[in-house]
Amino acid sequence: MVRPDSPHSYPGTLGNRPIAVQFHAGSHYVALRLLEGYLPKEKLKLVHYGSPQQRFEAMWHGAVDACLVMEPWIALGEKLGCKVLCEGHYLGAENASDDMDEATFAAINRAVGQAVDMLNADKRRYLHYLIDDPRHAAALAQYGGLTPDDFHLPRLRYVKATPYTDEIVEDTYHWMVRWGLISGAACATNLVDNRLPDVAVAPAGD
Amino acid sequence: MKKVVSEISGTVFSLPWLIAKDHGLFEAEGIEMEFVRARPSGVVPHTENPEEVNPVLGHVAFEEVRVSIYRA
Repeated sequence: MVRPDSPHSYPGTLGNRPIAVQFHAGSHYVALRLLEGYLPKEKLKLVHYGSPQQRFEAMWHGAVDACLVMEPWIALGEKLGCKVLCEGHYLGAENASDDMDEATFAAINRAVGQAVDMLNADKRRYLHYLIDDPRHAAALAQYGGLTPDDFHLPRLRYVKATPYTDEIVEDTYHWMVRWGLISGAACATNLVDNRLPDVAVAPAGD
Repeated sequence: MKKVVSEISGTVFSLPWLIAKDHGLFEAEGIEMEFVRARPSGVVPHTENPEEVNPVLGHVAFEEVRVSIYRA
């Protein structure tokens, strides 16, 4: 995302220009995945700025040319006239400790899965969580605040938990090695415990 | 009820979890769910070198075994 008055209108002109991300988080990895289609690696100038608010404000105040953010900062930026140059999605992961038993993990996933159904049935109903989040409500208000009408609802994409496929793990591993984000000596099977009990993905009551 | 403590980081990533708690879906599954907010990063030193940034980021509570599940 870039400022309303930015000369950039597509990602190909962002070479050697500072772009705010949070290293080792979604904004970092999505930036690489999106921008490598437009720019050579040596021209990508990603800078660690921390939280979405820090990244957004670095862009808004001109410290960087662009920032990577998620909702509700995308909605705020678009409301203020900022330009989205590219947009991507990525898979989230539920990371449980070794001592969480399968029955508990399955119960949690059933509850969350029901919530996913509720959310997808009426996304607008739940936007207040994003608008009123106490961690950034005051910051949003400084820029005029948000209402449900400011959100592009198809952007909010939620699915029920399923195991990563071996293909996804393999592809992601090789991509991370290529970008120097993980040692080539690391073994995916030693890093990823991809178990998900069958009952976790079964509908409640089955 | 089984007590579970979960980390909540970005609200957009945990939205179904917030809905599940507020609508009693965890309780219906016999889970007493407690949320702990991830530590906000605030202002951080700016760097272009990822190796200068701790990849644990705000997931300190999980690393310290104060929560048993988080999403990223």
